Amino acid sequence: MTDTTLSLKTGPARGRRRRPGFVAMLYLYGSLFIVAAIVLVPLLTTALGGFKTLGDLRVNPFGLPGEWQWSNYWDILSGARYWQMLGNSLLIASMTVVLTVAVAAMAAFALAHVRFFGSAFLMNYFLVGLMFPIATAILPLFIRIRDLGLLDTYLGVVLPQVAFGLGMAILLFRNFFRNVPKELFEAALVDGSGYIRFFWFVTLPLSRPILATVAIVAFVNSWNNYIMPLIMLNSQDKYPWPLGIMIYQGEFSTDWQLVLAFITLTILPTVIVFFAAQKHIVAGLTAGAVKG
Amino acid sequence: MSDAAGIIERPSPVASRGRAPSRRRAGAVGGHHRNIGGVWPVLVLFLPPALVLFTLFVILPMGEAAWYSLFDWSGYGAPEDFVGLKNFETLWRNGAFRTALTNNGLIILVSLALQLPLALWLATLVSHRIPGTTAFRLVFFLPYVLADVAAGLIWRFIYDGDYGLVASLASLVGIATPYVLADRDYAIYAVLAVVVWKYFGFHMMLFIAGLQSIDKSLYEAADLDGATPWQKFRTITLPLLSPTIRLSVFFSVIGSLQLFDMIMPLTGGGPSNSTQTMVTFLYTYGVTRMKVGFGSAIGVVLFLICVTLAFSYRRIFMRHD
Amino acid sequence: MASIALHDVRKFFGHHPVLHGISLDIRDGEFVILVGPSGCGKSTLLRMLAGLEDVSEGEISIGGRVVNDMAPKERDIAMVFQNYALYPHMTVAENMAFSLRLAGAPKAQKDAAVARAAEILGLAHLLDRYPRELSGGQRQRVAMGRAIVRDPAVFLFDEPLSNLDAKLRVAMRTEIKALHQRLKTTMVYVTHDQIEAMTMADRIVVMNGGRVEQVGRPLDLYDKPANLFVAAFIGSPAMNLLHGEAVAGPNGVAFRAKGGGVLPLPAGRGIQPGTPLVYGVRPEHIELAASAACDAEAQIAVVEPTGSETQVFMTLGPDSLVGVFRERVADEPGSRLRLRIDPARIHLFEPASGARIDAAAASTPPIREAEPA
Repeated sequence: MTDTTLSLKTGPARGRRRRPGFVAMLYLYGSLFIVAAIVLVPLLTTALGGFKTLGDLRVNPFGLPGEWQWSNYWDILSGARYWQMLGNSLLIASMTVVLTVAVAAMAAFALAHVRFFGSAFLMNYFLVGLMFPIATAILPLFIRIRDLGLLDTYLGVVLPQVAFGLGMAILLFRNFFRNVPKELFEAALVDGSGYIRFFWFVTLPLSRPILATVAIVAFVNSWNNYIMPLIMLNSQDKYPWPLGIMIYQGEFSTDWQLVLAFITLTILPTVIVFFAAQKHIVAGLTAGAVKG
Repeated sequence: MSDAAGIIERPSPVASRGRAPSRRRAGAVGGHHRNIGGVWPVLVLFLPPALVLFTLFVILPMGEAAWYSLFDWSGYGAPEDFVGLKNFETLWRNGAFRTALTNNGLIILVSLALQLPLALWLATLVSHRIPGTTAFRLVFFLPYVLADVAAGLIWRFIYDGDYGLVASLASLVGIATPYVLADRDYAIYAVLAVVVWKYFGFHMMLFIAGLQSIDKSLYEAADLDGATPWQKFRTITLPLLSPTIRLSVFFSVIGSLQLFDMIMPLTGGGPSNSTQTMVTFLYTYGVTRMKVGFGSAIGVVLFLICVTLAFSYRRIFMRHD
Repeated sequence: MASIALHDVRKFFGHHPVLHGISLDIRDGEFVILVGPSGCGKSTLLRMLAGLEDVSEGEISIGGRVVNDMAPKERDIAMVFQNYALYPHMTVAENMAFSLRLAGAPKAQKDAAVARAAEILGLAHLLDRYPRELSGGQRQRVAMGRAIVRDPAVFLFDEPLSNLDAKLRVAMRTEIKALHQRLKTTMVYVTHDQIEAMTMADRIVVMNGGRVEQVGRPLDLYDKPANLFVAAFIGSPAMNLLHGEAVAGPNGVAFRAKGGGVLPLPAGRGIQPGTPLVYGVRPEHIELAASAACDAEAQIAVVEPTGSETQVFMTLGPDSLVGVFRERVADEPGSRLRLRIDPARIHLFEPASGARIDAAAASTPPIREAEPA
């Protein structure tokens, strides 16, 4: 997947060797550019809108700013608020990734490599989690977190996120682990390793691609998650960015230029990381979602 | 779902030589040995963390939702006010909930009837061997990586009647500025457009992967048989893509049912509940008012819909697998 | 170094028996090869020695210690796998040192052991490479190096050459044999290739259907196969086996195949005319008759010259016969070939039991180990 999704040597292509003719090319590129415009124009308008004044925005939502208002962006960047919520998001997402990867990899290893009574049942038990939206149990979940005293803590967001990501992560890990050649385990056994050391010394180092996939899925899900922090967190200083941005929008609802600058800055990390690591992210998210 | 998994990713990076080793006995790496110490340590150490987390935060809450749904409960103290199925009755009589159900159905419909063909069409376009397709794929996928909340806010601006793009487009053609999101008849369609905008790229990626798994020599054989492009699409691409299509349908349905994050910044379910979905309804009427029993009943209904859909999906689509 | 003793070892997969009671003694320092067709239980037996499969019944001891319930690492063995089973994420040196690393050995000891193994196998220049960067033969050597580093009492090899091409296989054969001569450690080696077994082993254990058919030195198996199975299995091309009976002929008792061809029998074996027999003659023991005096006339079906010799497929009545001749055979298919067979080099078997009928008048019981209860 990783190396095929974005490669150009693809296509069910009419004319694999022949180039399409002029009309066909016109149709192809015409269609692609129109769709690309529909995708990009809202994003560009948002980014540019952040540089405008409110009046400029009203008369000229399309074009370049009449006067570039760098201060819109600069004020946000120099304030603590923006950094705090990105920091919160990063912290929550990192904790989620570490816990998801560790807990799921261990469980998947046991499910993939150890034969024991009830193994198949247990796997299906975890797979149940794939089918239901988090929202179905959001109120009892809230009560549980509250009773555990975890309300308004990072952990109160992280633990449910991890739990809901487990089904997918375990599935991805187990499918990968099962492809580790049996002989490798036997060789390790003869070399004096048991299950746990095999997991540590052989399985994990061999599983870097799937570790990356699971980590990306967990990170993106957590980074973009809105409902869980919305329900579990009360203090604004703990808010991750999806909550923060909503609060900001609520405060400055009519000052669209500020809101737009704020939106641009909050999605900027995502966009940068996406283009920097697009191959892994596309592979991870499609592979991940495919199993969800 | 695990069969679906195979479509996209077949990891075999570990075999130091090309082919996979024969598995003497399916499933397990080692056979069943009493010689291998450490079976119990591994089970006792490795399984419980996942088991506890999953049970505590996924399975138990689902069961509790069913239990709480029978009570009128504010969430404090113990649930004592047993009301039977009254919460479900109230729910059914609630007009906003029926709107939410209709809207969820509408979202599924649009996902299947509009978004899926669009994604498939684009997938075939960018699968051509022409320059620039990689860039187009990335651009089309970009909305999917953005958070729903961000996408919702961006489109809230686009739809804005005073400052937005839609406003200036309207003034360009000289019609009265529409306040799309404030119109109870049209707001839901505006929401649907954003849903398609955000998710078509993901489905396109699924289809690209599906297209890549089709043996190219089939098309060459069809060329030799004199097939037209449309014939090739109908007789080769579509049938061989059916696992991917099923997958795409599955995600559309599950995704549509949990739509929440995007609605909140766009409309918050309004105007006058016209854009509620089941989850926004649950949030508005269950969570914010701390009506645990009523909210749980909504969760239970959502759960039942998921179960029903999952099973009928299996019946309809998985028969042949 | 250690001897190995198996006493009535049995294995069941579920209720399905795969080993029917194997008893075998392997001497210290011996190179023993288990050979047989696939599914005969040889690999299972080896894996039981390694501790990768449970022993259902019976007893296995290595170096005098009963190892039935010991983990593989406690058995003082090392194993070379068919697929090499090298850890893909470790370099050659790390692969070889892995067992010592698990045992918590100091770096100096690991380095010394790896250096020694690398020196023995000529791997010194490859120590920093990863398995994927190596050729098949080199991977094979690393797998052996990993075993050597452990300095075990017993080496176990599970079809280690079957993934190599023919040429490399021959070279590695020699190398493994040289390794044994150098290390003088007990080795148990599994293969389905009888040539490998013949060329390398001190002793061969021929297995079939979960039983031991014969144990012996390579040439003993070739010269005196204990039964029809061993006769057909050892030697290439395989021994000609003709069904028929003893008949009285002009020069004493002779053999007549079911198809009617008559072949000479050795004198003085006390075989009565009318006795049903299986008559075995190796292709290389059939000669072209120089004079008119011949033992049999066969019709040529196919001639396959290899240069050094000529393999001729013939028919003797309805029976087929293969001969390997030093001479070049230029005759066309369909023409007749006059053959001589040295009666001293033929093998006779009882059709019913498959057991060898020996010169000492069929009284010797067949050498079958561990008949099932």
